[in-house]
Amino acid sequence: MLELDAVTVRFGGLTALSGISFRIAQGEILGLVGPNGAGKTTLFNSISGLVKARGRISFNGREVTGLPLHKRARAGIGRTFQIPQPMHHLTVRENLAVAQVFGAGRYDEKRIDEILSVMELSHKADADAATALALQELKRLEIAKALATEPKLLLLDEVLAGLESNAKRSFMLKLKELHALFGLTVVIVEHDIETISGLCTRAVVLNFGQLLADGTPAEVFSNPAVVESYTGNAHA
Amino acid sequence: MPVTSNAAAQAAPAAVSQRGRGALIGAGVLALALLPLVAGASPYMLGLLISALILSGLALSWALLGNLGGMVSFGHAAFFGVGAYGSALLAGKLGMPVLLAIPLGGLIATVFSLAMLPALRLSGPYFALAILAYAQIFRILATELDWLTGGAAGLQRYPGLPTVLGFNLADRAGSYVLVLACVVVFALVYMALRRSHVGTALRAIADSEDATRVVGVNATVLKTWMLLLSAFIAGVFGALNAHIIGFLEPDYAFSGIWSVMPIIAAVFGGYRSVLGPIFGAVVIYLFDQVIAKSLIPVGHQILLGIVLAIMVLLAPNGLSGLVARFLPRLAGRSLSNAEKGHA
Repeated sequence: MLELDAVTVRFGGLTALSGISFRIAQGEILGLVGPNGAGKTTLFNSISGLVKARGRISFNGREVTGLPLHKRARAGIGRTFQIPQPMHHLTVRENLAVAQVFGAGRYDEKRIDEILSVMELSHKADADAATALALQELKRLEIAKALATEPKLLLLDEVLAGLESNAKRSFMLKLKELHALFGLTVVIVEHDIETISGLCTRAVVLNFGQLLADGTPAEVFSNPAVVESYTGNAHA
Repeated sequence: MPVTSNAAAQAAPAAVSQRGRGALIGAGVLALALLPLVAGASPYMLGLLISALILSGLALSWALLGNLGGMVSFGHAAFFGVGAYGSALLAGKLGMPVLLAIPLGGLIATVFSLAMLPALRLSGPYFALAILAYAQIFRILATELDWLTGGAAGLQRYPGLPTVLGFNLADRAGSYVLVLACVVVFALVYMALRRSHVGTALRAIADSEDATRVVGVNATVLKTWMLLLSAFIAGVFGALNAHIIGFLEPDYAFSGIWSVMPIIAAVFGGYRSVLGPIFGAVVIYLFDQVIAKSLIPVGHQILLGIVLAIMVLLAPNGLSGLVARFLPRLAGRSLSNAEKGHA
């Protein structure tokens, strides 16, 4: 479904990503892990079109490397941001309506109600501007907005960060539900090894902008190079 | 049933507020239509009201750009001036009917605004300053192209507003009605646009462009359309003004006043609403010309600054924000009185 071939991103003299290549198959839930500054968000930005990348990014057999952000969204690449970016002055429903009309190219009130219900936002749909939502609700809105574009690939950037353990567990269940319900392929950036192990079928580790490991979560997290990148100690 | 009555109680103010808003808009238009009668309909007062409405139209076009797309313009004088010159030249040199030349003047302003499209890559103060620079370029062009524009001396020989079906648009009452009709038409267009999905997306662009682009909104195209529409509206009011006052010179048509006053008017009235800029312009212009000028004949604009500063500090959402704050209270009070009556 998604194919990255030698994807490289430079910011002036800094190489944020260096020759990243891997494939993601349809229906996978892939965990993207690595220490701070490893290049995880930059990889999301280059896949979704927020930053320009060298190399080749193909989605569903079509090269999207040169496509602008909005065209990639319309092609089926949905994403969330680490710090939620709602359309602040719009209501929750308006946020979803804009995403659906422009991302999916149609307006279907029933479908919006469905997404609101799945994301447990129905009670907030018309009440307030998105600015009035609590953090967990904002994160749910972030995902709901992406779902409204009817994506085939969903990039989730640290959606579980900042949530306490119970909220985290219920959010993980929610993500599994969404994966099954909408037939999505999911890539999730997450620091927590337990979360990745519980949620993902595969994990890719980045470090200093390079691909360090790729495999099942069990394989990856027992890899000495990965352990060292996380702890600074190869024998930990 | 307590649940039902709670729900009804919650729904009622919203419905009242919706009805209230509709009534407010109707009352606003009616008030503007009747304003000349209230003001005594003296030629001087009518002249002031016409100028106030011209400013209303310009403030509306400025607010449209700011509210739908988040673009702050410091150069609406460019569109106003180009529309004025375009229409005056079409009517004066080509003999085109004035009522056709006016929308074409707006169209010419729209075409000229295409030169500003590169500025859409900029945001915030950079966009504002780029537009300001464009306005200066147009003023200089109007001065230097004297074979076309009459240079610094300007244009005097072009027709004024015509008589249509026995109704003389050139007299003050006729001009007032025509300008008011244009304000109402563009306000309705703005309202329809705001309520559409495109308008909702544009309001979102003003908040965060990336948040909209990532869900498939082509922010650049939508912002371009808004720039063109805003230029058209400003150009039409520039053209109307040109045919009402009967002379044009670059320092007047492209004066910084046409860039600054719509900002003051829109912010004073509440630029996020449709009616705010319109009423803000009428109130602020009449305050300046009638009250401030009589108090401080020279440098009366200082009072405008003070009034605007007070408004921004006490009511950042302007007049419309104040009305929105007090209308539900009034509606709620009348609702609770009605409920007491039923009880």
